[in-house]
Amino acid sequence: MPERVLIVDDHQGFRRLARRLAEEVGLDVVGEASTGAEALREERRLRPDIVLLDIQLPDLDGFAVASSLSSVTAAPTVVLVSTRDASDYGPRIGRCGAIGFISKAELSAATLQAMLKA
Amino acid sequence: MSTVQRRAFQAIVVLVPALVAFVELQHFWQPMFDRPTIIALDDLLPGSAFALAGLIAWSRRSRNRVGVLMICIGLGLLIGAGPLVQTSPLAETLNLVLGGSWTFVLLVIGSLWAVALLHLLLVFPGGRLVSRLDRVIVGLLYVAVPLGGLVPALIFSNDYQGTGSLQFAAFTTHMTSLIVYLICLLLGSGLIIRRWLLAGPARRRSMSPVIWSLVPIVLALLPPQLAFFVVTGPVSGPWHAFVFASPLFLVVLPAGFLAAMLRSEHEMSSVGDLVVKLSDGLLPEQLQPALAKTLHDPSLEVVYWLPTLGWFADLDGKPVNLPAPNSPRTATVLGDPSNPVAALVYDSSLRHEAQLVDTAAAAVRLALENARLQVQLRAQLDEVRQSRARLVEAADGERRRVERDLHDGAQQQLVTLLLSLQLAKAAALQRSDPDTAHMLDASIESLKQALGDLRTLARGLHPTILAEAGLLPAIRSLAERCPIPVEVTGDLDRLEPRLEAALYFVAAEAITNAVRHSKGQRICVDLRRRSGWASVDVSDDGVGGADVSRGSGLVGLSDRVAAVGGRLNVQSNQLHGTSLHAEVPCA
Repeated sequence: MPERVLIVDDHQGFRRLARRLAEEVGLDVVGEASTGAEALREERRLRPDIVLLDIQLPDLDGFAVASSLSSVTAAPTVVLVSTRDASDYGPRIGRCGAIGFISKAELSAATLQAMLKA
Repeated sequence: MSTVQRRAFQAIVVLVPALVAFVELQHFWQPMFDRPTIIALDDLLPGSAFALAGLIAWSRRSRNRVGVLMICIGLGLLIGAGPLVQTSPLAETLNLVLGGSWTFVLLVIGSLWAVALLHLLLVFPGGRLVSRLDRVIVGLLYVAVPLGGLVPALIFSNDYQGTGSLQFAAFTTHMTSLIVYLICLLLGSGLIIRRWLLAGPARRRSMSPVIWSLVPIVLALLPPQLAFFVVTGPVSGPWHAFVFASPLFLVVLPAGFLAAMLRSEHEMSSVGDLVVKLSDGLLPEQLQPALAKTLHDPSLEVVYWLPTLGWFADLDGKPVNLPAPNSPRTATVLGDPSNPVAALVYDSSLRHEAQLVDTAAAAVRLALENARLQVQLRAQLDEVRQSRARLVEAADGERRRVERDLHDGAQQQLVTLLLSLQLAKAAALQRSDPDTAHMLDASIESLKQALGDLRTLARGLHPTILAEAGLLPAIRSLAERCPIPVEVTGDLDRLEPRLEAALYFVAAEAITNAVRHSKGQRICVDLRRRSGWASVDVSDDGVGGADVSRGSGLVGLSDRVAAVGGRLNVQSNQLHGTSLHAEVPCA
């Protein structure tokens, strides 16, 4: 049974492409959200296994959402993504409960698979 | 009043007590009705004391009514005393010249001294009745007391030759005078003590000699007086004498008024000390304490009018609002009201020392003019400093906005395009179309390069990590991307964003300079926070030669650090490379 994915990003174009990439590696995209609040709501409703989470959101930032998600029962695996580099965020990436970070410019089926397998 | 009139008045004031004293003293040994001889002194001594003290006060401060009122009280006491010595030549002369009823008129006029005493207590120390209530009370008594005193005069006017009637009428008038004295003393003392209690330190100080002189008068004399009039009724013997002699103790009061005046004059002389200090050269910082000492108001402030800015400012150039009317603070604006020099802001109780304030203000006028120039310079400097800080903050804000726009706009579009190309490449490979895949691959690499450049540009504008994680992680992130090894040491908590930005850009510029010009092998960055200062030290082991006066980059850094109140120091020589130290004040 394929793992279920929730994609969180305020850019519809990116969500569309991310969905195709995820599906390419055999994941089941069960939902999308464009804000932090919507992400938390959809997570409660859909109970995904993986959340692909953009850091720069219009309301909450990705770190706050990741922290909230990591505290729920049967917490999903959170992968942070951003247009910026990991070095732009410093130690916050490691502290928020996410399993890792992929720069959007580096996002591909291979990097996503590697991150999930790690 | 002209000088001639003044001299004439002074002559009268001196001659009348002298004359009265002369005739009275000749009859001290003669008992008057049942009045002991010593009683003659009760009017004579305080009357002379008041007249003399009033003369001194009036000659020193002719505009203040205190002196004139004291003279009036003295004359009243003396005029009232004269005819009481029934066998004195003065009484006989008055009876002969003016007739019996005029003798009573003189007695009545003499009884007015008590009202004048109340008047004096109420006008002290300013010289004028302050409230409407005061004016009504004093006015009513001035009318009511003579009218009340004239009654016995009219009753006995037809029998003025009868010694018994004359004695009784004189006694009645004297008793009326005593009652009026008691009322006026009680009322006046109550009002002046209330005023003293409500006054500020400066006014209290000026009033205190009079208050202290009132205390023995009221405390020592009121109980026996009240006992006489209210409880026991007429008594005889020494007790009776004591009651009659009560105004004798008033002799203390002119001394109190004189002491208050002398103290006030002493304070005026302290203006002289101020002038001496000014001639020795008083710094603007010393003006306020010197004035505060002269005017006996530690809360006194000197504020300066800044015509170019249109506001009053303190010595540091900070804007100051003058106190509102009827507030506990009062301001005296010095100079032309349309273009003042400065203002003195002080406790409202000093309003009653207007002459002292004006004199002191006049003495320091020139020094204030000079101080104002300095304050104006400081205010302009402060304004420039604030303006520079605002400019830097505005520039930082703009850099952040551009960085965010790049991130949200161009970078997002390019990333989406990159992902699309990668998907297209994957699809081409799936269709076994290597040529298309190869072409797409080249585009992907170019796009990645462009994205990298754009990211570097955005980071240079304003690094996200600085706001996200603070100065130390931002410097570490900078160090990781540096082409030569950078060692980052130290420990620093979060600072205000403007301070973090200033130190970050100093460190970034110093590292860039070291990479470009030093030819060194290693860069060290140390961040510290010590004694209210946050600092960054950047040093390299290169060839040195950096010069703040020549390099516009270093001058820009110096300006940038100065804009947040900091300092920049650069040491550079060929043997020891370049080291840069920047520090900014932090709470």
